[in-house]
Amino acid sequence: MSYSSKLAWRRYLVEGLLILASLLIILPLLIMIFGSFMNNSEVLKFSLRLPKEWIFSNYTTVFKEGGLGRAFLNGILITGVSSILNIFTSSAAAFILVRRETKTANFLYMFFFMGLIAPMSTITTIRVVQWLGFYGSITSVIFIYASLNTAFSVFLYSGFIRSIPKALDEVAFLEGANTLSVFFKIVTPLILPVNATVAIMVFMSVWNDITIPLYFLTDSSNWTMPLSVYNFYGKFSRDWNLIFADLVLTSLPVFILYLFCQKYIVSGLTAGAVKG
Amino acid sequence: MKISRRLYSYYLVWPALLIYSIFFVIPAIAGLYYSFTDWRLDRTSIQFIGWDNFERIFTDKTLLLAVKNTLIFAVATVIGKNIVGMALAIGLNMRLKTRNILRAIFYSPSILSILVISIVFTPMLRADGTINRILDAVGLHFLTQNWLTDPSVVIWTIALVSIWQQAGFQMAIYLAGLQSISKDYYEAATIDGAGAWRSFRSITLPLLTPAININLMLTLIGGLKVFSEVFVLTGGGPGNASQVVGTIILRSFGEGSWGLGTAVNTLLFAAVTVIAIPLLIFMRRKEVSE
Repeated sequence: MSYSSKLAWRRYLVEGLLILASLLIILPLLIMIFGSFMNNSEVLKFSLRLPKEWIFSNYTTVFKEGGLGRAFLNGILITGVSSILNIFTSSAAAFILVRRETKTANFLYMFFFMGLIAPMSTITTIRVVQWLGFYGSITSVIFIYASLNTAFSVFLYSGFIRSIPKALDEVAFLEGANTLSVFFKIVTPLILPVNATVAIMVFMSVWNDITIPLYFLTDSSNWTMPLSVYNFYGKFSRDWNLIFADLVLTSLPVFILYLFCQKYIVSGLTAGAVKG
Repeated sequence: MKISRRLYSYYLVWPALLIYSIFFVIPAIAGLYYSFTDWRLDRTSIQFIGWDNFERIFTDKTLLLAVKNTLIFAVATVIGKNIVGMALAIGLNMRLKTRNILRAIFYSPSILSILVISIVFTPMLRADGTINRILDAVGLHFLTQNWLTDPSVVIWTIALVSIWQQAGFQMAIYLAGLQSISKDYYEAATIDGAGAWRSFRSITLPLLTPAININLMLTLIGGLKVFSEVFVLTGGGPGNASQVVGTIILRSFGEGSWGLGTAVNTLLFAAVTVIAIPLLIFMRRKEVSE
Protein backbone atom coordinates (compact mmCIF):
# COMPACT_ATOMS: atom_id res chain seq x y z
CA MET A 1 0.00 0.00 0.00
CA SER A 2 2.62 2.48 1.04
CA TYR A 3 4.67 1.52 -2.01
CA SER A 4 1.84 2.16 -4.42
CA SER A 5 0.97 5.45 -2.76
CA LYS A 6 4.60 6.45 -3.14
CA LEU A 7 4.34 5.61 -6.83
CA ALA A 8 1.14 7.63 -7.17
CA TRP A 9 2.83 10.56 -5.48
CA ARG A 10 5.73 10.39 -7.84
CA ARG A 11 3.35 10.32 -10.77
CA TYR A 12 1.56 13.49 -9.60
CA LEU A 13 4.89 15.22 -9.15
CA VAL A 14 6.04 14.26 -12.66
CA GLU A 15 2.72 15.32 -14.14
CA GLY A 16 2.88 18.69 -12.38
CA LEU A 17 6.42 19.34 -13.61
CA LEU A 18 5.54 18.35 -17.17
CA ILE A 19 2.49 20.63 -17.20
CA LEU A 20 4.69 23.50 -16.00
CA ALA A 21 7.26 22.70 -18.68
CA SER A 22 4.57 22.58 -21.35
CA LEU A 23 3.78 26.24 -20.59
CA LEU A 24 7.25 27.05 -21.96
CA ILE A 25 6.08 25.65 -25.29
CA ILE A 26 2.54 27.03 -25.25
CA LEU A 27 3.27 30.63 -24.23
CA PRO A 28 5.41 31.70 -27.21
CA LEU A 29 2.95 30.09 -29.60
CA LEU A 30 0.01 31.84 -27.93
CA ILE A 31 1.83 35.19 -28.04
CA MET A 32 2.09 34.66 -31.80
CA ILE A 33 -1.54 33.59 -32.27
CA PHE A 34 -3.09 36.29 -30.04
CA GLY A 35 -0.68 38.87 -31.46
CA SER A 36 -1.90 38.13 -34.96
CA PHE A 37 -5.33 39.56 -34.03
CA MET A 38 -4.07 42.74 -32.32
CA ASN A 39 -3.51 46.25 -33.66
CA ASN A 40 0.08 47.25 -34.33
CA SER A 41 0.73 49.11 -31.08
CA GLU A 42 -0.85 46.54 -28.78
CA VAL A 43 1.22 43.71 -30.23
CA LEU A 44 4.53 45.46 -29.46
CA LYS A 45 4.36 44.51 -25.78
CA PHE A 46 5.01 40.89 -26.77
CA SER A 47 3.39 39.62 -23.62
CA LEU A 48 0.67 37.07 -23.22
CA ARG A 49 -2.73 38.74 -23.29
CA LEU A 50 -5.92 38.43 -25.24
CA PRO A 51 -6.38 41.11 -27.89
CA LYS A 52 -8.60 43.97 -26.69
CA GLU A 53 -10.37 43.79 -29.98
CA TRP A 54 -10.03 40.87 -32.40
CA ILE A 55 -8.87 42.26 -35.73
CA PHE A 56 -9.47 39.61 -38.35
CA SER A 57 -8.56 41.96 -41.18
CA ASN A 58 -4.84 41.46 -40.35
CA TYR A 59 -5.16 38.18 -42.19
CA THR A 60 -6.71 39.61 -45.32
CA THR A 61 -4.15 42.42 -45.34
CA VAL A 62 -1.31 39.94 -45.13
CA PHE A 63 -2.78 37.78 -47.84
CA LYS A 64 -2.92 40.73 -50.23
CA GLU A 65 0.29 42.56 -49.27
CA GLY A 66 2.43 39.45 -48.93
CA GLY A 67 1.27 37.88 -52.18
CA LEU A 68 0.52 34.75 -50.25
CA GLY A 69 -2.03 33.34 -52.69
CA ARG A 70 0.62 32.74 -55.32
CA ALA A 71 3.13 31.49 -52.76
CA PHE A 72 0.57 29.06 -51.38
CA LEU A 73 -0.08 27.56 -54.82
CA ASN A 74 3.65 27.36 -55.56
CA GLY A 75 4.17 25.60 -52.24
CA ILE A 76 1.40 23.09 -52.91
CA LEU A 77 2.74 22.39 -56.40
CA ILE A 78 6.36 21.97 -55.30
CA THR A 79 5.56 19.98 -52.18
CA GLY A 80 2.92 17.81 -53.85
CA VAL A 81 4.85 16.86 -56.98
CA SER A 82 8.17 16.30 -55.18
CA SER A 83 6.47 14.09 -52.56
CA ILE A 84 4.74 11.97 -55.21
CA LEU A 85 7.90 11.69 -57.29
CA ASN A 86 9.85 10.74 -54.20
CA ILE A 87 7.31 8.10 -53.10
CA PHE A 88 7.24 6.32 -56.47
CA THR A 89 10.96 6.30 -57.12
CA SER A 90 12.10 5.50 -53.58
CA SER A 91 9.65 2.70 -52.90
CA ALA A 92 10.40 1.03 -56.26
CA ALA A 93 14.15 1.27 -55.61
CA ALA A 94 13.85 -0.01 -52.05
CA PHE A 95 11.75 -2.96 -53.23
CA ILE A 96 14.41 -4.20 -55.64
CA LEU A 97 17.36 -3.49 -53.36
CA VAL A 98 15.80 -5.35 -50.44
CA ARG A 99 14.75 -8.35 -52.53
CA ARG A 100 17.90 -8.92 -54.54
CA GLU A 101 20.29 -9.39 -51.64
CA THR A 102 23.33 -9.24 -53.97
CA LYS A 103 26.57 -7.34 -53.47
CA THR A 104 25.51 -4.73 -56.02
CA ALA A 105 22.19 -4.26 -54.26
CA ASN A 106 23.96 -3.85 -50.95
CA PHE A 107 26.36 -1.35 -52.42
CA LEU A 108 23.51 0.66 -53.94
CA TYR A 109 21.71 0.66 -50.60
CA MET A 110 24.79 2.14 -48.91
CA PHE A 111 25.13 4.57 -51.83
CA PHE A 112 21.64 5.86 -51.09
CA PHE A 113 22.25 5.74 -47.36
CA MET A 114 25.19 8.14 -47.68
CA GLY A 115 22.67 10.78 -48.65
CA LEU A 116 21.38 10.76 -45.07
CA ILE A 117 24.80 11.86 -43.91
CA ALA A 118 26.39 13.98 -46.62
CA PRO A 119 25.41 17.62 -46.75
CA MET A 120 24.19 18.91 -50.08
CA SER A 121 26.73 20.82 -52.17
CA THR A 122 24.59 23.84 -52.96
CA ILE A 123 26.83 25.85 -55.25
CA THR A 124 27.72 22.98 -57.57
CA THR A 125 24.07 21.87 -57.63
CA ILE A 126 23.24 25.32 -58.96
CA ARG A 127 25.79 24.76 -61.71
CA VAL A 128 24.29 21.42 -62.62
CA VAL A 129 20.80 22.92 -62.74
CA GLN A 130 22.07 25.86 -64.82
CA TRP A 131 23.71 23.43 -67.20
CA LEU A 132 20.45 21.51 -67.52
CA GLY A 133 18.85 24.85 -68.33
CA PHE A 134 16.16 25.20 -65.70
CA TYR A 135 17.82 27.20 -62.91
CA GLY A 136 15.29 29.35 -61.07
CA SER A 137 12.31 27.27 -62.13
CA ILE A 138 9.83 25.38 -59.97
CA THR A 139 10.78 22.19 -61.85
CA SER A 140 14.38 22.40 -60.64
CA VAL A 141 13.28 22.74 -57.04
CA ILE A 142 10.92 19.76 -57.37
CA PHE A 143 13.77 17.52 -58.56
CA ILE A 144 16.13 18.81 -55.88
CA TYR A 145 13.66 18.07 -53.09
CA ALA A 146 12.93 14.64 -54.55
CA SER A 147 16.65 13.85 -54.60
CA LEU A 148 17.34 15.27 -51.13
CA ASN A 149 14.66 13.04 -49.63
CA THR A 150 15.61 9.89 -51.53
CA ALA A 151 18.02 8.65 -48.86
CA PHE A 152 15.56 8.98 -46.03
CA SER A 153 12.69 7.43 -47.97
CA VAL A 154 14.69 4.47 -49.29
CA PHE A 155 15.80 3.86 -45.70
CA LEU A 156 12.20 3.90 -44.39
CA TYR A 157 10.80 1.76 -47.23
CA SER A 158 13.56 -0.83 -46.91
CA GLY A 159 12.72 -1.39 -43.25
CA PHE A 160 9.09 -2.09 -44.09
CA ILE A 161 9.59 -4.14 -47.23
CA ARG A 162 12.04 -6.41 -45.40
CA SER A 163 9.18 -7.38 -43.09
CA ILE A 164 6.98 -8.49 -46.01
CA PRO A 165 7.54 -12.21 -46.73
CA LYS A 166 9.32 -12.83 -50.02
CA ALA A 167 7.07 -15.85 -50.61
CA LEU A 168 4.20 -13.49 -51.42
CA ASP A 169 5.84 -12.13 -54.55
CA GLU A 170 7.42 -15.46 -55.48
CA VAL A 171 3.96 -16.99 -55.79
CA ALA A 172 3.00 -14.15 -58.09
CA PHE A 173 6.12 -14.70 -60.18
CA LEU A 174 5.26 -18.37 -60.59
CA GLU A 175 1.86 -17.31 -61.87
CA GLY A 176 3.68 -15.35 -64.56
CA ALA A 177 3.63 -11.83 -63.20
CA ASN A 178 6.54 -9.47 -63.98
CA THR A 179 8.47 -7.12 -61.68
CA LEU A 180 6.30 -4.14 -62.38
CA SER A 181 2.99 -5.87 -61.73
CA VAL A 182 4.30 -7.56 -58.58
CA PHE A 183 5.44 -4.14 -57.35
CA PHE A 184 2.12 -2.43 -58.07
CA LYS A 185 -0.29 -5.27 -57.25
CA ILE A 186 1.40 -6.85 -54.24
CA VAL A 187 3.95 -4.56 -52.66
CA THR A 188 2.29 -1.17 -53.15
CA PRO A 189 -0.95 -2.07 -51.33
CA LEU A 190 1.05 -3.48 -48.42
CA ILE A 191 3.20 -0.39 -48.02
CA LEU A 192 0.33 2.12 -48.17
CA PRO A 193 0.86 3.17 -44.53
CA VAL A 194 4.55 3.84 -45.23
CA ASN A 195 3.55 5.89 -48.25
CA ALA A 196 1.48 8.00 -45.88
CA THR A 197 4.40 8.37 -43.48
CA VAL A 198 6.83 9.33 -46.21
CA ALA A 199 4.32 11.70 -47.80
CA ILE A 200 3.81 13.51 -44.51
CA MET A 201 7.48 13.68 -43.58
CA VAL A 202 8.48 14.91 -47.04
CA PHE A 203 5.55 17.32 -47.18
CA MET A 204 6.43 18.85 -43.83
CA SER A 205 10.13 19.24 -44.50
CA VAL A 206 9.61 20.65 -47.99
CA TRP A 207 6.80 22.99 -47.01
CA ASN A 208 8.79 24.43 -44.09
CA ASP A 209 12.11 24.79 -45.88
CA ILE A 210 13.65 28.14 -46.79
CA THR A 211 17.16 27.08 -47.82
CA ILE A 212 16.43 25.65 -51.26
CA PRO A 213 14.11 28.48 -52.38
CA LEU A 214 16.70 30.96 -51.14
CA TYR A 215 19.35 29.54 -53.46
CA PHE A 216 17.26 28.22 -56.31
CA LEU A 217 14.16 30.39 -56.73
CA THR A 218 15.54 33.62 -58.08
CA ASP A 219 12.19 34.97 -59.26
CA SER A 220 9.81 36.02 -56.47
CA SER A 221 6.80 34.79 -58.46
CA ASN A 222 8.08 31.25 -57.86
CA TRP A 223 8.55 31.65 -54.09
CA THR A 224 6.99 29.35 -51.54
CA MET A 225 5.21 30.60 -48.42
CA PRO A 226 8.11 30.62 -45.95
CA LEU A 227 10.32 32.61 -48.29
CA SER A 228 7.52 35.11 -48.93
CA VAL A 229 7.08 35.36 -45.19
CA TYR A 230 10.79 35.99 -44.72
CA ASN A 231 10.67 38.74 -47.30
CA PHE A 232 7.55 40.21 -45.71
CA TYR A 233 9.27 40.11 -42.30
CA GLY A 234 12.08 42.24 -43.71
CA LYS A 235 9.74 44.74 -45.29
CA PHE A 236 7.13 45.12 -42.54
CA SER A 237 9.49 44.86 -39.60
CA ARG A 238 7.33 47.20 -37.50
CA ASP A 239 3.95 45.61 -38.03
CA TRP A 240 4.30 42.61 -35.78
CA ASN A 241 0.57 41.90 -35.88
CA LEU A 242 0.88 41.36 -39.64
CA ILE A 243 4.09 39.36 -39.26
CA PHE A 244 2.41 37.07 -36.74
CA ALA A 245 -0.64 36.66 -38.98
CA ASP A 246 1.75 35.74 -41.77
CA LEU A 247 3.47 33.15 -39.59
CA VAL A 248 0.15 31.61 -38.55
CA LEU A 249 -0.94 31.33 -42.18
CA THR A 250 2.30 29.57 -43.17
CA SER A 251 1.95 27.14 -40.30
CA LEU A 252 -1.70 26.30 -40.92
CA PRO A 253 -1.24 23.71 -43.70
CA VAL A 254 1.30 21.60 -41.77
CA PHE A 255 -0.68 21.98 -38.59
CA ILE A 256 -3.85 20.67 -40.25
CA LEU A 257 -1.89 17.85 -41.87
CA TYR A 258 -0.45 16.97 -38.47
CA LEU A 259 -3.88 16.86 -36.83
CA PHE A 260 -5.20 14.39 -39.39
CA CYS A 261 -2.11 12.25 -39.80
CA GLN A 262 -0.61 12.04 -36.31
CA LYS A 263 -0.80 8.27 -36.15
CA TYR A 264 1.20 7.84 -39.35
CA ILE A 265 3.99 10.03 -38.05
CA VAL A 266 4.30 8.05 -34.86
CA SER A 267 4.00 4.63 -36.51
CA GLY A 268 6.50 5.70 -39.14
CA LEU A 269 9.01 6.78 -36.53
CA THR A 270 8.52 3.58 -34.59
CA ALA A 271 8.91 1.21 -37.48
CA GLY A 272 11.40 3.16 -39.54
CA ALA A 273 13.71 4.74 -37.05
CA VAL A 274 13.67 2.53 -34.01
CA LYS A 275 13.09 -0.96 -35.36
CA GLY A 276 14.29 -0.42 -38.95
CA MET B 1 16.77 -18.46 -55.55
CA LYS B 2 17.82 -18.11 -59.18
CA ILE B 3 14.53 -16.65 -60.41
CA SER B 4 14.84 -13.66 -58.13
CA ARG B 5 17.78 -12.23 -60.06
CA ARG B 6 15.91 -12.27 -63.30
CA LEU B 7 12.60 -11.12 -61.90
CA TYR B 8 13.56 -8.35 -59.52
CA SER B 9 14.79 -6.26 -62.37
CA TYR B 10 17.01 -3.27 -61.71
CA TYR B 11 14.99 -0.97 -63.95
CA LEU B 12 12.82 -0.06 -60.96
CA VAL B 13 15.92 1.33 -59.24
CA TRP B 14 16.84 3.60 -62.14
CA PRO B 15 14.44 6.53 -61.60
CA ALA B 16 15.50 7.03 -57.97
CA LEU B 17 19.15 6.44 -58.85
CA LEU B 18 19.07 9.00 -61.68
CA ILE B 19 17.36 11.77 -59.71
CA TYR B 20 19.55 11.16 -56.68
CA SER B 21 22.76 11.02 -58.72
CA ILE B 22 22.13 14.05 -60.92
CA PHE B 23 20.91 16.40 -58.21
CA PHE B 24 22.86 15.17 -55.21
CA VAL B 25 25.81 12.89 -55.89
CA ILE B 26 27.28 14.53 -58.99
CA PRO B 27 27.21 18.01 -57.40
CA ALA B 28 28.80 16.56 -54.27
CA ILE B 29 31.64 14.96 -56.24
CA ALA B 30 32.06 18.08 -58.39
CA GLY B 31 32.21 20.05 -55.13
CA LEU B 32 35.18 17.98 -54.02
CA TYR B 33 37.03 18.99 -57.17
CA TYR B 34 36.03 22.67 -57.16
CA SER B 35 37.12 23.15 -53.54
CA PHE B 36 40.70 22.95 -54.84
CA THR B 37 40.15 25.71 -57.41
CA ASP B 38 39.89 29.48 -57.45
CA TRP B 39 36.46 29.28 -59.05
CA ARG B 40 34.82 32.71 -59.07
CA LEU B 41 31.61 33.93 -60.60
CA ASP B 42 33.35 36.85 -62.34
CA ARG B 43 36.17 34.82 -63.88
CA THR B 44 35.98 32.63 -66.94
CA SER B 45 39.01 30.42 -66.30
CA ILE B 46 39.25 28.18 -63.30
CA GLN B 47 42.68 27.33 -61.87
CA PHE B 48 43.61 24.43 -59.67
CA ILE B 49 45.12 25.95 -56.52
CA GLY B 50 45.66 22.97 -54.22
CA TRP B 51 44.98 23.48 -50.54
CA ASP B 52 44.81 27.29 -50.67
CA ASN B 53 41.09 27.49 -49.89
CA PHE B 54 41.49 25.25 -46.87
CA GLU B 55 44.50 27.19 -45.66
CA ARG B 56 42.42 30.32 -45.89
CA ILE B 57 39.60 28.76 -43.88
CA PHE B 58 42.01 27.95 -41.06
CA THR B 59 43.74 31.35 -41.05
CA ASP B 60 40.81 33.69 -41.66
CA LYS B 61 39.36 34.70 -38.27
CA THR B 62 35.76 34.82 -39.43
CA LEU B 63 35.89 31.47 -41.17
CA LEU B 64 37.58 29.88 -38.19
CA LEU B 65 34.96 31.35 -35.88
CA ALA B 66 32.25 29.93 -38.13
CA VAL B 67 33.76 26.45 -37.83
CA LYS B 68 34.03 26.83 -34.06
CA ASN B 69 30.44 28.10 -33.77
CA THR B 70 29.18 25.19 -35.83
CA LEU B 71 30.90 22.76 -33.47
CA ILE B 72 29.57 24.55 -30.37
CA PHE B 73 26.07 24.53 -31.82
CA ALA B 74 26.28 20.85 -32.78
CA VAL B 75 27.58 19.67 -29.42
CA ALA B 76 25.20 21.86 -27.41
CA THR B 77 22.13 20.76 -29.37
CA VAL B 78 23.10 17.06 -29.38
CA ILE B 79 23.34 17.14 -25.59
CA GLY B 80 20.34 19.42 -25.03
CA LYS B 81 17.91 17.79 -27.43
CA ASN B 82 18.72 14.29 -26.24
CA ILE B 83 18.62 14.95 -22.52
CA VAL B 84 15.43 17.00 -22.74
CA GLY B 85 13.87 14.61 -25.25
CA MET B 86 14.66 11.54 -23.16
CA ALA B 87 13.45 13.15 -19.93
CA LEU B 88 10.17 14.14 -21.58
CA ALA B 89 9.76 10.67 -23.07
CA ILE B 90 10.32 8.91 -19.75
CA GLY B 91 7.85 11.22 -18.02
CA LEU B 92 5.27 10.88 -20.76
CA ASN B 93 5.62 7.10 -20.84
CA MET B 94 4.08 6.99 -17.36
CA ARG B 95 0.35 6.58 -16.86
CA LEU B 96 -0.50 10.28 -16.60
CA LYS B 97 -3.98 11.70 -17.14
CA THR B 98 -2.77 14.48 -19.40
CA ARG B 99 -0.16 12.52 -21.29
CA ASN B 100 -1.73 12.58 -24.75
CA ILE B 101 -2.24 16.31 -24.77
CA LEU B 102 1.22 16.88 -23.28
CA ARG B 103 2.83 14.70 -25.96
CA ALA B 104 1.07 16.71 -28.65
CA ILE B 105 2.16 20.01 -27.07
CA PHE B 106 5.83 19.06 -26.79
CA TYR B 107 5.87 17.67 -30.32
CA SER B 108 4.09 20.63 -31.91
CA PRO B 109 7.00 23.11 -32.38
CA SER B 110 8.92 20.58 -34.45
CA ILE B 111 6.25 20.46 -37.15
CA LEU B 112 6.56 24.22 -37.69
CA SER B 113 9.11 25.89 -39.91
CA ILE B 114 12.37 26.96 -38.27
CA LEU B 115 11.62 30.29 -39.91
CA VAL B 116 8.38 30.65 -37.91
CA ILE B 117 9.99 29.75 -34.59
CA SER B 118 12.99 32.02 -35.18
CA ILE B 119 10.84 35.02 -36.05
CA VAL B 120 8.60 34.45 -33.01
CA PHE B 121 11.64 34.38 -30.73
CA THR B 122 13.34 37.45 -32.23
CA PRO B 123 11.37 40.12 -30.32
CA MET B 124 11.21 38.00 -27.17
CA LEU B 125 15.01 37.73 -27.03
CA ARG B 126 15.67 41.47 -27.15
CA ALA B 127 17.31 43.18 -24.18
CA ASP B 128 13.90 44.56 -23.15
CA GLY B 129 12.06 41.51 -24.49
CA THR B 130 9.60 39.10 -22.94
CA ILE B 131 12.20 36.63 -21.69
CA ASN B 132 14.26 39.16 -19.76
CA ARG B 133 11.07 40.76 -18.36
CA ILE B 134 9.88 37.36 -17.09
CA LEU B 135 13.29 36.57 -15.57
CA ASP B 136 13.23 39.95 -13.79
CA ALA B 137 9.70 39.40 -12.58
CA VAL B 138 10.48 36.05 -10.95
CA GLY B 139 13.66 37.35 -9.30
CA LEU B 140 16.15 35.71 -11.66
CA HIS B 141 17.65 39.01 -12.71
CA PHE B 142 21.15 37.51 -12.85
CA LEU B 143 20.05 35.27 -15.73
CA THR B 144 19.06 38.13 -18.02
CA GLN B 145 21.25 38.47 -21.10
CA ASN B 146 21.59 40.42 -24.26
CA TRP B 147 20.58 37.19 -25.91
CA LEU B 148 21.10 38.08 -29.55
CA THR B 149 23.45 41.07 -29.32
CA ASP B 150 26.15 39.84 -26.95
CA PRO B 151 28.78 38.13 -29.15
CA SER B 152 29.76 35.71 -26.39
CA VAL B 153 26.26 34.28 -25.83
CA VAL B 154 24.59 34.54 -29.22
CA ILE B 155 25.50 31.08 -30.56
CA TRP B 156 24.29 29.53 -27.28
CA THR B 157 21.02 31.42 -27.58
CA ILE B 158 20.50 30.05 -31.07
CA ALA B 159 21.24 26.55 -29.76
CA LEU B 160 18.65 27.04 -27.00
CA VAL B 161 15.99 28.07 -29.53
CA SER B 162 16.81 25.00 -31.58
CA ILE B 163 16.57 22.73 -28.53
CA TRP B 164 13.25 24.39 -27.62
CA GLN B 165 11.91 23.62 -31.07
CA GLN B 166 13.20 20.13 -31.73
CA ALA B 167 13.53 18.29 -28.43
CA GLY B 168 9.92 17.20 -28.98
CA PHE B 169 10.94 15.30 -32.09
CA GLN B 170 13.65 13.44 -30.16
CA MET B 171 11.00 12.77 -27.51
CA ALA B 172 8.79 11.07 -30.10
CA ILE B 173 11.59 8.71 -31.15
CA TYR B 174 12.48 7.93 -27.53
CA LEU B 175 8.81 7.28 -26.76
CA ALA B 176 8.62 4.83 -29.65
CA GLY B 177 11.71 3.11 -28.24
CA LEU B 178 10.35 3.03 -24.69
CA GLN B 179 7.10 1.48 -25.85
CA SER B 180 8.94 -1.46 -27.31
CA ILE B 181 10.41 -2.34 -23.86
CA SER B 182 8.33 -4.95 -22.09
CA LYS B 183 6.88 -3.98 -18.69
CA ASP B 184 7.95 -7.39 -17.35
CA TYR B 185 11.57 -6.29 -17.03
CA TYR B 186 10.62 -3.46 -14.71
CA GLU B 187 8.38 -5.68 -12.60
CA ALA B 188 11.13 -8.23 -12.22
CA ALA B 189 13.60 -5.50 -11.29
CA THR B 190 11.22 -4.05 -8.70
CA ILE B 191 10.76 -7.49 -7.14
CA ASP B 192 14.54 -7.80 -6.98
CA GLY B 193 14.60 -4.53 -5.09
CA ALA B 194 15.96 -2.23 -7.80
CA GLY B 195 15.20 1.47 -7.40
CA ALA B 196 14.21 3.89 -10.14
CA TRP B 197 17.80 4.90 -10.96
CA ARG B 198 18.98 1.29 -11.08
CA SER B 199 16.09 0.29 -13.39
CA PHE B 200 16.88 3.23 -15.62
CA ARG B 201 20.55 2.31 -15.87
CA SER B 202 20.19 -1.44 -16.19
CA ILE B 203 17.00 -1.73 -18.25
CA THR B 204 15.94 1.50 -19.91
CA LEU B 205 19.31 2.73 -21.18
CA PRO B 206 20.56 -0.53 -22.75
CA LEU B 207 17.22 -1.39 -24.35
CA LEU B 208 16.86 2.14 -25.63
CA THR B 209 20.18 1.94 -27.50
CA PRO B 210 18.68 1.87 -31.03
CA ALA B 211 16.64 5.00 -30.30
CA ILE B 212 19.63 6.70 -28.66
CA ASN B 213 21.83 5.93 -31.66
CA ILE B 214 19.37 7.19 -34.23
CA ASN B 215 18.76 10.34 -32.16
CA LEU B 216 22.48 11.02 -31.72
CA MET B 217 22.96 10.65 -35.48
CA LEU B 218 20.04 12.88 -36.38
CA THR B 219 20.89 15.65 -33.93
CA LEU B 220 24.60 15.59 -34.75
CA ILE B 221 24.16 15.69 -38.51
CA GLY B 222 21.38 18.28 -38.17
CA GLY B 223 23.56 20.34 -35.84
CA LEU B 224 26.54 20.42 -38.20
CA LYS B 225 24.28 21.41 -41.08
CA VAL B 226 22.69 24.31 -39.13
CA PHE B 227 21.67 27.23 -41.29
CA SER B 228 18.09 28.53 -41.06
CA GLU B 229 18.05 29.36 -37.34
CA VAL B 230 21.16 31.50 -37.64
CA PHE B 231 20.07 33.03 -40.92
CA VAL B 232 16.74 34.23 -39.49
CA LEU B 233 17.68 35.03 -35.88
CA THR B 234 20.90 36.97 -36.43
CA GLY B 235 22.04 36.65 -40.05
CA GLY B 236 25.42 35.69 -38.58
CA GLY B 237 25.69 38.79 -36.41
CA PRO B 238 26.32 40.80 -34.33
CA GLY B 239 29.35 41.48 -36.50
CA ASN B 240 30.28 37.93 -37.43
CA ALA B 241 29.78 36.53 -33.94
CA SER B 242 27.26 33.86 -34.90
CA GLN B 243 28.49 32.86 -38.34
CA VAL B 244 28.30 29.13 -38.98
CA VAL B 245 29.39 27.00 -41.91
CA GLY B 246 25.92 27.22 -43.47
CA THR B 247 25.82 31.03 -43.45
CA ILE B 248 29.41 31.26 -44.71
CA ILE B 249 28.45 29.15 -47.73
CA LEU B 250 25.57 31.52 -48.49
CA ARG B 251 27.89 34.50 -48.11
CA SER B 252 30.56 33.04 -50.40
CA PHE B 253 27.84 32.26 -52.90
CA GLY B 254 26.58 35.85 -52.76
CA GLU B 255 30.10 37.26 -53.10
CA GLY B 256 30.80 35.01 -56.08
CA SER B 257 33.71 33.19 -54.41
CA TRP B 258 32.34 29.81 -55.35
CA GLY B 259 35.59 27.89 -54.95
CA LEU B 260 35.87 28.96 -51.34
CA GLY B 261 32.19 28.24 -50.74
CA THR B 262 32.49 24.69 -52.01
CA ALA B 263 35.66 24.23 -49.94
CA VAL B 264 33.73 25.17 -46.80
CA ASN B 265 31.07 22.70 -47.87
CA THR B 266 33.68 19.99 -48.42
CA LEU B 267 35.02 20.59 -44.95
CA LEU B 268 31.50 20.16 -43.57
CA PHE B 269 31.14 16.96 -45.59
CA ALA B 270 34.41 15.63 -44.19
CA ALA B 271 33.46 16.53 -40.62
CA VAL B 272 30.04 14.90 -40.83
CA THR B 273 31.44 11.76 -42.46
CA VAL B 274 34.31 11.36 -40.01
CA ILE B 275 31.91 11.59 -37.08
CA ALA B 276 28.92 9.77 -38.52
CA ILE B 277 30.50 6.75 -40.24
CA PRO B 278 31.98 5.15 -37.09
CA LEU B 279 28.66 5.73 -35.34
CA LEU B 280 26.89 4.11 -38.27
CA ILE B 281 29.14 1.05 -38.31
CA PHE B 282 28.66 0.73 -34.57
CA MET B 283 24.88 0.90 -35.03
CA ARG B 284 24.84 -1.74 -37.76
CA ARG B 285 26.96 -4.10 -35.68
CA LYS B 286 24.53 -3.67 -32.80
CA GLU B 287 21.60 -4.50 -35.06
CA VAL B 288 23.20 -7.71 -36.23
CA SER B 289 24.02 -8.89 -32.75
CA GLU B 290 20.47 -8.38 -31.54
